Amino acid sequence: MVAILGVGTTRFTQKIERTIVSLGVEAARLALSDAGLAPTRIEGAFVANALGGMLFGDTTIGQTLLRDVGLRRLPIVNVENACTSGSSALWLAWNAVSAGQMEAALVLGVERMCVPSLGLINSGRTEIDTLLGLVTPASFALRAQRHMHEFGTTREQMAAVVEKSRRHGALNPNALFQRAETIADVLAGPSVADPLTRSECCPIADGASAIVIGSDRLARELGAGVRIDSVVLASGGYENPADLARWDTDTETAAAAYARAGIGPEDLDLVECHDAFSIAEILHCEALGLCAPGEGGPLAASGATSLGGRIPVNVSGGLISRGHPVAATGVAQIAEIAAHLRGTAGARQVEGAKVGLAQCMGGDLAGDTKSCTVAVLSR
Amino acid sequence: MSGNNLPPFAEGIFTGDGTLVELVGSRCPLCGAQHFPARTHCPDDMAETEAVSLGGSGTLYSATVIRTKPPFGLPAPYAVGYVDLDAHPLRIFMLLDPAHTEDFRIGMPLALKSGALGVGLNGEPCIRPYFTPTLKD
Repeated sequence: MVAILGVGTTRFTQKIERTIVSLGVEAARLALSDAGLAPTRIEGAFVANALGGMLFGDTTIGQTLLRDVGLRRLPIVNVENACTSGSSALWLAWNAVSAGQMEAALVLGVERMCVPSLGLINSGRTEIDTLLGLVTPASFALRAQRHMHEFGTTREQMAAVVEKSRRHGALNPNALFQRAETIADVLAGPSVADPLTRSECCPIADGASAIVIGSDRLARELGAGVRIDSVVLASGGYENPADLARWDTDTETAAAAYARAGIGPEDLDLVECHDAFSIAEILHCEALGLCAPGEGGPLAASGATSLGGRIPVNVSGGLISRGHPVAATGVAQIAEIAAHLRGTAGARQVEGAKVGLAQCMGGDLAGDTKSCTVAVLSR
Repeated sequence: MSGNNLPPFAEGIFTGDGTLVELVGSRCPLCGAQHFPARTHCPDDMAETEAVSLGGSGTLYSATVIRTKPPFGLPAPYAVGYVDLDAHPLRIFMLLDPAHTEDFRIGMPLALKSGALGVGLNGEPCIRPYFTPTLKD
């Protein structure tokens, strides 16, 4: 069994002028301090950053920034796996600790992307689909159109995901957006890719998040009570024809994570999922089995996924309100779930939470995702 | 749209020009699987593939109009979609006719065209294929 020993997340923001190193160091220090573990007891580190090479020519930043928190002469692996960079780093660390290769490992996700040169995120500049005009919001707009066509999902139901997200974000001092937005406001915004308006697309942000994980023995020593019951990482299936209204890769990855953890969706107390777009949260709720296929729209509108509802989803504000510093997101989701299981989530605490799930997705290929992760945590 | 002397946006994606355009895919001689874009080898059998025409007609599976700043000099706004090809069981991503940006509906019959549309990786004007609504008789 592998335990979460400490977590730390910086404010997610678009305003600061900070280097990747400064962001990463802050999160690493927070997590180490939270764990109460000296840096010398960390035996390996997995550092996720997706865009530093492209935007700044910064590569192998893990070693650069961890030197500043006293992590030297140990295995450090830099990880890039699109939006699942952070959760893939967790997968690597979890495998290393599970295998007994290290007693304690640091997982860090850090991104600085709020620069004028960013442009729209795509899935590889020389891919044929990219050259034919496929940008990431369009991938999800095409899913939304199909979901509306097949299941009668409405724009109001999709906007309800954002309205709920803003209410949650207002309770999270680290979130980028902390102000309310009504369904009418969401729908009145400019369209990015029909039917998705600007508020239905997650904002970019700068930020970092870190967690320290470790063995059972270390968890007992430190009195840490949050376990990682499963972490599953999977690439896409790339079936053709791709079904844009049902996400098989998502469903299968979740099923594997439930099976390994020995639980089902009915056992969950909260979920953090990759709500990069309003329709994405609806699709993920269906794939995770929080509702029947096609019922994600009514679920969002029902209030069941709000704090205090049947199964709160993205009480952190999710990508839509917390912001999406690409490689930090997958780690921040885990830190969020851990905080609820420890009862330290403050105003947004899911009372009595015992089991939580984090789902993340990254990249786009042939109408499928390139990477999907699902992790189950419990206390 | 004219521009027959311009280069295609990428090699090996389509043949023909104007309104007589067909997509080029690949077919595995062992398992018969077809792919678009074409692959040199079948990902399942590792066998060398043969080129196959995927035709130029299909049915619209999903479509959207993109209203943010377009990449590659494409028009603002511009439409894209997934299209089920008539002749082969493939669903492919493709540009939709800039002259009909607001007209696309799921289930519409479509025909492939090509013309000068946007620029390539190095900023040079180029030819791209796109589906247009099939004209009613």
